Amino acid sequence: MGLSELLSTYGQLYLTGLVTTWWMTAVSFAFVMVLSVAITVMRISPLKPLRLVGDLYVQIFRNIPGVALLVIIVYALPNLRLVLDYRTCVIVTTILMGSAFGSENFMSGINTIGVGQIEAARSLGLTFRQIIQQIVIPQALRSAVLPMTNLLIAVMLTTALGSQVPMSPQELTGVVSYINTRSTGGILAFLIAALGYVGTAAVIGLAGNRLDKKVRILR
Amino acid sequence: MTMDTRDDVPVIELRHVEKHFGDLHVLRDINLKVSRGEVLVVIGPSGSGKSTMCRTINRLETIDSGEILIEGKPLPAEGRELAAMRAELGMVFQSFNLFAHKTILENVTLGPIDVLGMKREDAEKRAMELLARVGVAEQAAKVPAQLSGGQQQRVAIARSLAMNPKAMMFDEPTSALDPEMINEVLDVMVELARGGMTMVVVTHEMNFARRVADRVVFMADGQIVEEGAPDEFFDHPATQRARDFLDSIKGH
Repeated sequence: MGLSELLSTYGQLYLTGLVTTWWMTAVSFAFVMVLSVAITVMRISPLKPLRLVGDLYVQIFRNIPGVALLVIIVYALPNLRLVLDYRTCVIVTTILMGSAFGSENFMSGINTIGVGQIEAARSLGLTFRQIIQQIVIPQALRSAVLPMTNLLIAVMLTTALGSQVPMSPQELTGVVSYINTRSTGGILAFLIAALGYVGTAAVIGLAGNRLDKKVRILR
Repeated sequence: MTMDTRDDVPVIELRHVEKHFGDLHVLRDINLKVSRGEVLVVIGPSGSGKSTMCRTINRLETIDSGEILIEGKPLPAEGRELAAMRAELGMVFQSFNLFAHKTILENVTLGPIDVLGMKREDAEKRAMELLARVGVAEQAAKVPAQLSGGQQQRVAIARSLAMNPKAMMFDEPTSALDPEMINEVLDVMVELARGGMTMVVVTHEMNFARRVADRVVFMADGQIVEEGAPDEFFDHPATQRARDFLDSIKGH
């Protein structure tokens, strides 16, 4: 199958796949950011049990292959009487993994703040909560823009796990699997999908760089 | 009459304060009273425990035993009570410690708005007055990294003053500054002292100590070795330890 034939037969399917990949990425990343902040706050809290849970979370979900985690979620959760549809399973897998890495990004952002500013905030009488809200999170967010840009791209690529489960509509990699089971698109079918990923990643990268320049903290 | 009894209570009092860092005995039986309006200058060789003592007063360092009283009340150990007590004590650090992501104005208004519950408008007005008083009003919209060290330290002083503190601690406020910026910070401190602020100043600036201090405390090896009026201490130190220290910093 040549390029023009692939595009004329499956062009619409590719487009739907790309858009599906985009929105799965957007939904996943929104939750990744929220969960990353929550996990990170636990990891720096004054309560040891919370710190332990946070650290454990990161160690677990940073170190499980995505496919393995997806299998666990698809096959194990129903035993807990929690049945999610396949798309949700993929998104949950992506969120769990992504937020472990996201928390690490925030932790390194926090490490750049320096204990002096925290001491100054404590000296003013700010509470732990106020210090987190006013000093720690804003600075961690602003100094984590570049690593978070990388994470957003990684989250997009992780949604390709969707090709391992039945979904409708399918995301980009799922579309390629579908095409290759029906006709002989071969490597070309993958290349078209790759173009979608690379193009999106390039836009994300550019946007991330611009945002970083805008919000970077002078030191 | 009520005023008198209140003024009899020291603003800051340390009783038998002890602290270890591991095996190192950094504070040994520290007893100290700071009266209202008094300027206490703490000097001593590095590692003598003077910074640590200064930092125990608002519990940035915990103590092993002993008591710290603020206006006669024991310093709370943690939580909201401790935060409330800290809000009443100003602290100026060697490394300025301004909030890097906030403007100069926001650095000064954060405490009044978030801790004292002041209206933004009022907090900003007061902040601008204080920034003008320390001579950096025209820098209000900048971020800390755009200011010189001396300017940053003056902002840090304004940030503390914005809380209307009962007393202010200065932990080597000029030690991280280039020589030409030291005086602009000391001038602000002299003015504060003349205005009646209760101050504990850890410093190596002997001229400042002589000129401004009501009392000088000399520390070595975690102990208060000697204390007295500045002229008396500098001209006739009573202990050999103090004489050695004063000799070591003279003659350059």
